[in-house]
Amino acid sequence: MLARAHAFTIDGLHTRHVSVEVDVRPGLPGFTIVGLADAAVREARERIQTAIRNSGYEFPSRRITANLAPGDVPKAGPGLDLALACAVLAASGQLPGRGLASVALFGELALDGRVRPSRGALAVAQATRRAGLELLGVAGASAREARLIDGLEVAVVEHLSSAVRVLCGGAPDPLPGPRSRERRAEPAGAPGPDLSDVRGQHHAVRALVIAAAGGHNCLLSGPPGTGKTMLAQRISSILPPMSRSEAIEVTRIHSLVGARIEGLASGRPFRAPHHSITAAGLIGGAQRGWAGEVVLAHNGVLFLDELSEFSRATLDALRQPLEDGRVAIVRARHSAVYPARFMLLAATNPCPCGYAGEGDRCGCSEGDMARHRRRLNGPLLDRVDLLVNLRSADIRGLQDTPLMSSGEARERVLGARERQARRLGPEGVELNARMDTCMLRSHVRLDEKGEEMMRAAREQGLLSARGEQRVLRAARTIADLDSSERVRARDLGVALALRPDAGMTDSRAA
Amino acid sequence: MSPIAGDPPGAGACTACLRRSWLLSSLSAPLDYCARDRWRLLELLALGDVELLEAVGGRRRAELRARYEALDLDQIGAGRERESLCRHDERYPRALNGPAAPHMLNVAGGATRLAELSASAVVAILGSTRASDYGMEMARSLARGLAAAGITVASGLRDGIAIAAHAGALEARAGTLAVTAGGLDVSCPTRRRSLHERVTRSGCAVSELPCDCRGRRWGQIAAERITVELAAIVVVVEASQTPGDLFAALTARRRGRTVAAIPGRLTSPLSAGTHALLMDGASLVRGAPDVLELLYAPGTGPPVKQEPDRPHAELEPRLRRVLERVRGGCETPDELARGAGSDGVLTALTELELMGLLARGDGGRYVPRDPMPVTIG
Repeated sequence: MLARAHAFTIDGLHTRHVSVEVDVRPGLPGFTIVGLADAAVREARERIQTAIRNSGYEFPSRRITANLAPGDVPKAGPGLDLALACAVLAASGQLPGRGLASVALFGELALDGRVRPSRGALAVAQATRRAGLELLGVAGASAREARLIDGLEVAVVEHLSSAVRVLCGGAPDPLPGPRSRERRAEPAGAPGPDLSDVRGQHHAVRALVIAAAGGHNCLLSGPPGTGKTMLAQRISSILPPMSRSEAIEVTRIHSLVGARIEGLASGRPFRAPHHSITAAGLIGGAQRGWAGEVVLAHNGVLFLDELSEFSRATLDALRQPLEDGRVAIVRARHSAVYPARFMLLAATNPCPCGYAGEGDRCGCSEGDMARHRRRLNGPLLDRVDLLVNLRSADIRGLQDTPLMSSGEARERVLGARERQARRLGPEGVELNARMDTCMLRSHVRLDEKGEEMMRAAREQGLLSARGEQRVLRAARTIADLDSSERVRARDLGVALALRPDAGMTDSRAA
Repeated sequence: MSPIAGDPPGAGACTACLRRSWLLSSLSAPLDYCARDRWRLLELLALGDVELLEAVGGRRRAELRARYEALDLDQIGAGRERESLCRHDERYPRALNGPAAPHMLNVAGGATRLAELSASAVVAILGSTRASDYGMEMARSLARGLAAAGITVASGLRDGIAIAAHAGALEARAGTLAVTAGGLDVSCPTRRRSLHERVTRSGCAVSELPCDCRGRRWGQIAAERITVELAAIVVVVEASQTPGDLFAALTARRRGRTVAAIPGRLTSPLSAGTHALLMDGASLVRGAPDVLELLYAPGTGPPVKQEPDRPHAELEPRLRRVLERVRGGCETPDELARGAGSDGVLTALTELELMGLLARGDGGRYVPRDPMPVTIG
């Protein structure tokens, strides 16, 4: 007898529909799974057999063939267990077969028949709705995640027998409450560190607000202990909240990489990998379906502390995501495209010892400086819009009042982003940082004095063609923060003062 | 690099001087050991060939002596693409006549040009290899001013002040004299190669060692002594109070050259050496006009006025205020904004930078610049 069930397998950040077909017929007892299954799926045979027996059902001692269609797509992970077990029960007549027709099942089986959560429930729920199925059966722990998708019924099945009950038209299990440890945890949206903790460094705070408002990539450069990391950690508190679709994108990615999901992601991701990270760790593709840090930072911030300590190969790998907002990974046996639209925030010392320009504490030779510059220059600095130099806060600086609180900063950022969205919305872009040449031409009009400044900068060799575009983008954001429709010369002046080359380029060398 | 056209063919150092050069390169390792005491190195370099060999040859003395006597000069001469000039040539710079002066020089850029450059007044600009951006800017503008006045700027080809000096003179489209620590073909680190080429295109690079001899520490000291000997005035721009940074000035004083220094901040250890020199009687110079006065009219004439009474009177008041505060040592946007508004400061800094009155230095500081318009060829 033949039975068919619906399930989904996860390939990178994508889900693939899998039709699970099970045929039970007389013959030598055996259980074969075909259809490019990986080790986790092949091992499902043992789990399913034991779970069926331990749940009080009979495992048919006949010849069982399971086919996972389509046959040319590799299937991975233990999430197919539940669908396979139900299909076996249906094929052996212990469950009405039509119950399976419009239901997707997703979960791993324990030997006693309980259903364990499997990673990627949110993505599976999305795919279930897209496939036009009515019901998704998942473990209780995944249900919260799956229910984030509107217009899909999610049934909690904590045990194989509950799944059978649901498929026969019975009631699902109740949704379990959060575990005690999680109940105690901070409620979502708890205030993080606030910008008002930062004393002095007004220049840097202002620049950070500009970066947040326009989504500009930003490099903080300064001696140790000047608050680079402190500032960077406060960027999340001034970024606007995510829209629902952005939040679902983020939650989906985090669910697919196996993070515990308790609800829709509330804050923008802030990823700060250590500088020993490899290129594969940063970009992804270490193994099939491995998403790197840039993908996890999608719609959020990627913070690279001690930028000059990252290996050259790692930094070079950032080019594509910074340019295109996505990563295309191609390996011998698989390829994948991941979304990776993030704001890059980097921090570095101005020289290997960290004290260049700080009186005479710097003990670096010209060669050290050249090496340091070479490391940073190149491809990465080309894609940074703002360079913020921090200086050791002197006593006076520490007594300064904080420039603004995160709340105030966020207000300004929100206002600027609204103006950007209104202007750029029709062109399908939300942020000034993502304007292309064509948009720059139509949206950034300089006044006469501004044109003159640009000409002077070009003539003095301060700006390359690409550098010019970065300055214009930043100037547009500065004008937006000031609620100005035009980009005035003073906005351009600020943008030029923050342009990322001096101190990093060969300004000292001949 | 091929010899410059117009030089008499077959020009070159005499055999005795070529032998000397070979000997120095063979003794490079023991000389490097002796260079721990700089003055002893100078004494050694003042010795004749045989005495030098006896003094530092060590166990290889006899072997080197034999090789020195059997030296096949064709072999040394073979494959030499550089021109060379020895002290027996009339074009040899006349200033090189001290006891420790080099016997010969390999020249990149042409012997004739070397003669021309050393015939006009030569000023050496020396200083720390780890100069601050203040020192770099000072050296650059000083060299630019001197070169524009027709003075030949001489320096080493090392990091720091020396590089800035060459760059400044090149900005004024003048040739410079660069003394390299090792042979002409090997002494240049990759990052300085383009400057090296620009120097040899319009000026000269010289070395007393064979072209393929690696530069060592003693070579740096020996090159410094040649730079000092070539010059009439030695200007120290930024030097810490270490024997290494001050050696050039002390040599210059011994050799009777005028020593001048550019002051820095009293709190800066990088200027401690220059201040010590000034205390010791070196002339204080504030820029190229002061050096010119030292050269041509020592001790006479009224002090040269460096700046008009109200500098940059043509600037808008807000720009002038910012510029004055930067010149007064208020160098970062945060410090500048503390007194005045914030947005205005950044814009004003940018405008001043675009006018060429300020430059961005290390760590986001702004450094005042010489307002002379710069054209880089």
